[in-house]
Amino acid sequence: MEYRLNRDVHSFLDPRTKLLLLFTSSVFVVGNAGEKWMFVFYWILVYLPVLLLFIEKEWKAGLISIAIYVGSYFAQTALQNDLTAIESVLALMLYIITKILPTVILARYIVKTTKVSEFLAAMNRMHVTDKLTIPISVIFRFFPTVAEESRAINNAMRMRGIEMGAKKSTEAVEYRMVPLIASCSIIGEELSAAAMTRGLDVGKRRSCIWKIRFGIFDWIIITLCVTCFIWWGIGRFFI
Amino acid sequence: MEKNNRLNAKDLINVGIYTAICAVICCAVAMTGVIPVMMLLLVVFVPIFTGIPYMMFLTKVKKFGMILILNTLMGALMWVTGMSWYALAVGTVSGLIAELIYRAGNYSRKWNGIIAYAISGIYCWANYFGIFFNAEAYFSTRQNFGQEYIDAVTGLLPVWMCPVLLVVDIACGIIGGWIGTKILKKHFVKAGIA
Repeated sequence: MEYRLNRDVHSFLDPRTKLLLLFTSSVFVVGNAGEKWMFVFYWILVYLPVLLLFIEKEWKAGLISIAIYVGSYFAQTALQNDLTAIESVLALMLYIITKILPTVILARYIVKTTKVSEFLAAMNRMHVTDKLTIPISVIFRFFPTVAEESRAINNAMRMRGIEMGAKKSTEAVEYRMVPLIASCSIIGEELSAAAMTRGLDVGKRRSCIWKIRFGIFDWIIITLCVTCFIWWGIGRFFI
Repeated sequence: MEKNNRLNAKDLINVGIYTAICAVICCAVAMTGVIPVMMLLLVVFVPIFTGIPYMMFLTKVKKFGMILILNTLMGALMWVTGMSWYALAVGTVSGLIAELIYRAGNYSRKWNGIIAYAISGIYCWANYFGIFFNAEAYFSTRQNFGQEYIDAVTGLLPVWMCPVLLVVDIACGIIGGWIGTKILKKHFVKAGIA
């Protein structure tokens, strides 16, 4: 039996394109730069992450996120004038959801579809130093782990009757924080052992099985992002 | 010194882990910021709660550059999640200062660590710059919260509050760092992790 390595595998978007898209999205959707002037691009950037999820056949996640977004958008526009205190807090929360959700979906898409080795190779191609790329890839790998651990610890502490907001709230915080840090530091030791076996520490150039290159979709999205910035620049400085 | 002073993969992975923990805690605490008063008190709570993982992180730091990288990444995360780029700029500079302070204590002295934490924590304060220096633009995007919310926040934050918040932030950083060392001593040193 012959085993042949397929050298032509590559994912739908290049990691560099994804990062550019994330940056553009955080400037124009979360940061709301340009406001009314960027109207069209704003909506494109809001719905593009969902489209990307559909392309990756993540139907459920895509539909749920679009439902949450549309729901909170309309609820938020309905809650406009003459608000009571509770209503305005609610409107504020909905507003924050509509601001942050598209970028969160995009970030989730990026984390799900980018392999760590692919990311490292792409960053290496851009001559970004290891000192930043290794921590960043660890952070992305670690967010779900921290969330999972803290959920488990939270359950265990609830079983022991140590609740948040109880009488001894300092104890509640301490009993959650300490196990979290302990278990995370142990997971970290394992992670660095794994990184050692993968040769992250050698200091030579690493090879990568994934083909890192720009395809047609990458160019489309790059053009979109660059147009966003140019259009914003025109609105900002010439009009 | 014969010891290898370059950062290796293990150090960088440690930086990544503790950045992730700090960011998750920050995020959880910052969720309470929708209530106007809490938004102001974030400058108290964030330094106190992130103190424990940060002090744990400092026990792992033995080489130049680790605090700087952690702070830069925290600033970058703040920027991506919709604060302003001020956090990145301030975080980088304060990270460098903290690094130098902790280095002066030979990466082991306790009070140098606490002060380094307090200094490096001021990226949290930098998030308020948007309100102080660019208030109109800041609130133009938040018009629909109702005038009450805007009045509540601006009433709490006149410009002279800016240095006050800095002092509060650093003071809370010192308290948080001190609590961190206490907890470190109580739990981790005994268990042999730190």
